[in-house]
Amino acid sequence: MGYLRLVHSAEPAPAPETSCLEAYNRDLDYLFETLQRLGAGAREVEDLAQEVFVVLHRHWPALDTTRPLRPYLFGVAFRVVCAHRRRRKREVPWLGLDAEDSGSSPEGQLQSKESVALLMAALERVPLPRRAVLVMHELDGVPIADVAERFSISRFGAYARLRKAHRELASAVRRLLKEGAPR
Amino acid sequence: MNRDDRAFNRELETLLERGRAIRPLPDVVRARALARARATIAKGAEAVPAPTAANPARSVGRRIALAAAFTLLIGGAGAVAAIRGGMLERSRPAPAPVAPAARVAPPRPQIPAAVTPEPESTPKPIEKRHAARPTAQESYAAELVLLHRAHVAYASRDFSSALVLVAEHARRFPNGRLAEEREALRVRSLAGSGRTADARRAVAAFATRFPRSVLLPRLQETAGTPD
Repeated sequence: MGYLRLVHSAEPAPAPETSCLEAYNRDLDYLFETLQRLGAGAREVEDLAQEVFVVLHRHWPALDTTRPLRPYLFGVAFRVVCAHRRRRKREVPWLGLDAEDSGSSPEGQLQSKESVALLMAALERVPLPRRAVLVMHELDGVPIADVAERFSISRFGAYARLRKAHRELASAVRRLLKEGAPR
Repeated sequence: MNRDDRAFNRELETLLERGRAIRPLPDVVRARALARARATIAKGAEAVPAPTAANPARSVGRRIALAAAFTLLIGGAGAVAAIRGGMLERSRPAPAPVAPAARVAPPRPQIPAAVTPEPESTPKPIEKRHAARPTAQESYAAELVLLHRAHVAYASRDFSSALVLVAEHARRFPNGRLAEEREALRVRSLAGSGRTADARRAVAAFATRFPRSVLLPRLQETAGTPD
């Protein structure tokens, strides 16, 4: 009887679908950004985000929501992009950014947009496994130990990938600047 | 040079710094993404009862299949024991069927009569259905991929490759679901490569195997007048 009373008097928990959608909405900017950083073209990023949501929704009941969601989203996004690449089986050149920026001043906005475009174009030239480490550590600020754990590699391996990715990014930026890419 | 490198590294660092910012999504894009997500949830909600309802059924099916396998195993073991013991008496009429629990330690004279008909009567089709479904799908997908490759080769007038792929398909799936299409492609590829006699022979074989195929008249025409 006491058990029954306890069950009936419990606070109604938010529907899992609602909380999943709310979490997705909260990190949607991050997800789109991550997908683009991992090389998703502007035209395919929405479809890939939807694929990520499908995975998130499927695993939501078993997910530990007390932990930050972004590393999980990054892992799913990485796998989705890898699978998408395998499907596509060829590289699509960087098409530029469609999403509008909301910078403070028009000049700053332009500069920032061009920098991001240059960075994205340079990232595109870094192979995906190393790019993922670079993006996660350098852009998302995830500690290297967590990066290593996320990709199931040793810390040494993660550092090695990061170093090589740095070199590749630097040479890609150099080449792009030589080719006259926007700065 | 060194100074240049340092300047470049600073520039790279600035670039990364700017790249760290997460740009807000345009409202339209966000609304579209959320609408798609909601549609997925709605679809999932419709589909949710189905898996939960299907799961017990599946587990029941699995149990039945397991039980069937178990009875088969016991039956087999019993039969072997009976043969070894020289107790196989087919002529003797079987007594009343024994309950499965009693059959765990089968009395030798009852084994051949009571055990053999049972696994073949009810549980076997269920077991067969469960085991065959994924492999059929997989083989169909593999067939499709192979034949698609053959079609691509044929479309690019690479008839020898198309014929190789057709032969591989015939080897792997002699009676596959796409056998008719495969044989049609064989005729067309043979005709395309100028092997008229082989093409005619292939058409004759096709006509024998698929006499009512809608592809037949066209293939006969193709074999008669190769590309």
